[in-house]
Amino acid sequence: MLACIRCGACLTSCPTYVLSMNEAEGPRGRVGLARAVAEGHLDVSPNLLEHELNCLVCDACSAVCPAGVHMDPLQVVFRSAVAEQRRAGWMARVVRSVVFGWLFMDMARFRAFARAMWLYQRSGARWLARHLGILRVLGLAEAERLLPEISRTFLTPHDETFPGEGDSTSEVAFFAGCVMSTALADVDRATIRVLQRGGYRVSDPGGQGCCGALHAHGGDLPRALDLARRNIAAFEPSEGPIVVNSAGCGAMLKDYAHHLRHDTAWSERARRFSERVRDLSQVLDPTAFSTHPVTGKSESEKIVYQDACHLLHAQRISRQPRDLLKAIPGVELVEIEEAGLCCGSAGVYNVTNPAESRQLQQRKIDNLLKVVPDLVVTANPGCLLQLQSGLAARDRHLAVKHLAEVLDEASAP
Amino acid sequence: MSIASDLRAILKDSRVLDAPAELRTYAYDASFLTQLAPRSPDAVVIAGSTSDVSAVMRYASAHGVPVTPRGAASGQAAGAVALEGGIVLALNAMNRIVEIDVANMQAFCEPGVVHATLNAALARHNLVFPPDPGSSRMATVGGMASTNAHGMRAVKYGPTSAWVLGLEVVLPDGQVIETGSVGSRAKQSSAGLELTRLIVGAEGTLGVVTRLRLKLMAIPPARAIVLGLFDVLENAGQAVQGVFGAGVSPSAMEILDERCIQAINLFRPNMKLPSVEALILFEVDGNRPGVCWDAERICEVIGPLARSTEWSDETARINALWEARSLVGAAVGTLRPGSNRAYCGEDICVPVARIPETLRAIQEISARHRIPIATYGHIGGGGLHPGHLIDGRDPDEIQRVLLVADDIHQLALSMAGTTTGEHGVGAARAPYMAQEHGPALEVMRRIKAALDPRGIMNPGVIFDVPAGLPLPLGEGGGEGFELPLRGPVGEPAVATIDPG
Repeated sequence: MLACIRCGACLTSCPTYVLSMNEAEGPRGRVGLARAVAEGHLDVSPNLLEHELNCLVCDACSAVCPAGVHMDPLQVVFRSAVAEQRRAGWMARVVRSVVFGWLFMDMARFRAFARAMWLYQRSGARWLARHLGILRVLGLAEAERLLPEISRTFLTPHDETFPGEGDSTSEVAFFAGCVMSTALADVDRATIRVLQRGGYRVSDPGGQGCCGALHAHGGDLPRALDLARRNIAAFEPSEGPIVVNSAGCGAMLKDYAHHLRHDTAWSERARRFSERVRDLSQVLDPTAFSTHPVTGKSESEKIVYQDACHLLHAQRISRQPRDLLKAIPGVELVEIEEAGLCCGSAGVYNVTNPAESRQLQQRKIDNLLKVVPDLVVTANPGCLLQLQSGLAARDRHLAVKHLAEVLDEASAP
Repeated sequence: MSIASDLRAILKDSRVLDAPAELRTYAYDASFLTQLAPRSPDAVVIAGSTSDVSAVMRYASAHGVPVTPRGAASGQAAGAVALEGGIVLALNAMNRIVEIDVANMQAFCEPGVVHATLNAALARHNLVFPPDPGSSRMATVGGMASTNAHGMRAVKYGPTSAWVLGLEVVLPDGQVIETGSVGSRAKQSSAGLELTRLIVGAEGTLGVVTRLRLKLMAIPPARAIVLGLFDVLENAGQAVQGVFGAGVSPSAMEILDERCIQAINLFRPNMKLPSVEALILFEVDGNRPGVCWDAERICEVIGPLARSTEWSDETARINALWEARSLVGAAVGTLRPGSNRAYCGEDICVPVARIPETLRAIQEISARHRIPIATYGHIGGGGLHPGHLIDGRDPDEIQRVLLVADDIHQLALSMAGTTTGEHGVGAARAPYMAQEHGPALEVMRRIKAALDPRGIMNPGVIFDVPAGLPLPLGEGGGEGFELPLRGPVGEPAVATIDPG
């Protein structure tokens, strides 16, 4: 907080500042507010909380800060410190406590919930709900559209080992995620296949669960740390890099060391864990396995790689996924305007701040459509669903895929 | 009725803020002064149109309410903060590029357009607005005009004022005028008093700029950069005079001292710059054979004075060196863990021939007050930016850095220089204006009074020293500061919040 010299270099990188042009909606303003509260110059007011919670925690500001301010951990701490003063309605509190305090804390429950959603989508209940207007009455239409087409079979990590292809196989441990291993389980399976073809022996340690990023950014640091400790313990018996295919989870896993640095029993274990964490794109060799075009078409495929904020800004990873895509025969990689501006997904932001989220989503889709791509690729579940739902609403048939799916297709035997 | 509710009733295209948290975020700019003593306005107007700006001014003038125009608040002189309360008039949302007149090489834009955004749009037409502050990614063109920003390329292309052909200005009584001849697209004019030049650099004390007519040029087809490393500071000074004497006109000449070089190496470890007393970046632009000739000529002239020289016309190398230079201002904070840059006494300008002497004197000031200072600047024009590193939690260091700033301002004046080369006076340099201008300051005050008889435009900057700020007392300083500071500034954060 004290490191901020108020130079303003962050302003134009911040999605909410760009939308509102209001200083209180920019990183410099938010740091200033946190500091004013910490130093006792300002009370925590609903207005202050609104400005803080409008932040997507996309970390674009941290990436450009010349003074080294790191917003994400600062906000996790600030949000936890002011959590008690949030005057949410009773309904919101109940929902929050059920979702974050109960559902995300246990993967068995989470899987049961995801299965119920799958049934909703397949049983005809969705058709009924949509056509009878129930969703609109409940104010859930927008949220429902974001619900992905849930994979039929989930991926339940249980200490299985998937053999690697080729001679020299080294070990990686796969972090399956909560949304990824259920709603997007097909992407998880594609990731494992891609890793295998990349020459890795893949383990999926049992006992792992949600990474806790949503809790941390929602101001519930204690629960986030519980989840962190569980994941650290789950991965300790495994060997090699911990590979993750969700940008948001990856950033959080890499921050475990920071969040647990004062916990004497866990700080060293957390440090060792975070050091092992790698995004999928960091462990794959572009020349190793992409052998044929993704669509089987002979002509070129125009692909936009949409940076996930938690890869580009939080983990500073932008080259590796592009190199992997460029290595696929026939791929023409095109860049869009404002590539580094968040698409508005940002964890559960599209549910908590639907208006801002939608503005960012439409801005992103405008920029995407300008270059007329054949395919959009991203590496984070939130972005994937946000772009899919945004494109669906504009009646476009442009596909959005996870990087792992594209690599899986390109390397399939 | 509050100011905010009055304004809400009369404004059509603007937003009005008055929640305490929101006001707090408009209580400071990048200056150390407002970090120590933030001043919240009574209301903020995020202006949406010239007619709303005019309405704000009519209201303010009728009620005697101070108005402070604000761009990105990236200034370092406390020039865009409501020092005497009233309204902060934020112009950053008026950020449309209205027209690019390619044939006449002019751009018409609103004041909130960010410099980098403007040049990105112009680049599509192979045009450029040449004044280039190091803060291109945040500075607005309105702010650049209001402070007459110079930046790195002023040594060849001159300050912002040289590139502003005309302005739309809302006067303190709400009247809207156009300077530089109404509707004109002429590139030069001798018609009457130069009101454009009067408003440029006036820091919002005479009126509010709501539109700018900017002169452009074609992007020079080629650039090259020469990197000179000097073991001895004085040799760097001689090198600059040698280059000018050889008939080369570089488009930028930037000096970095030893501590800045360390900061760059910390920020961009792969730069691997050697430790020397001074480094100078010379940029030349123009046609390709010309820049190669210039670059080689510079190497020839400075060769005998330098430990080593290299030149490159490769874009990647040029961009890497410029990126490092443009970030050094803030990156010097990384030199001393736990410390940050304090922007005060950060913008002096001295005669080019006295730069080495001035740099040595700054090092003495640094030693005397035990505050590390990393200095860089536009050596071609004599502008120097000393960056002081302090632990903001240490009241003693805060006190000492204020003394450093005062000493540096006095040093500049004693070297036949100025307290501000390009950032502006704001409140931070107001105490030195009498010493710097003599009776000319009174003439400035008379001009100010003629245009703003009620004194509502940005009070507390340039002409009068605002009360209650940690500024030097008495003419010429040296009599201590108006302390103690208000509020528990510098105390450690409360236990529940760990600044990480």
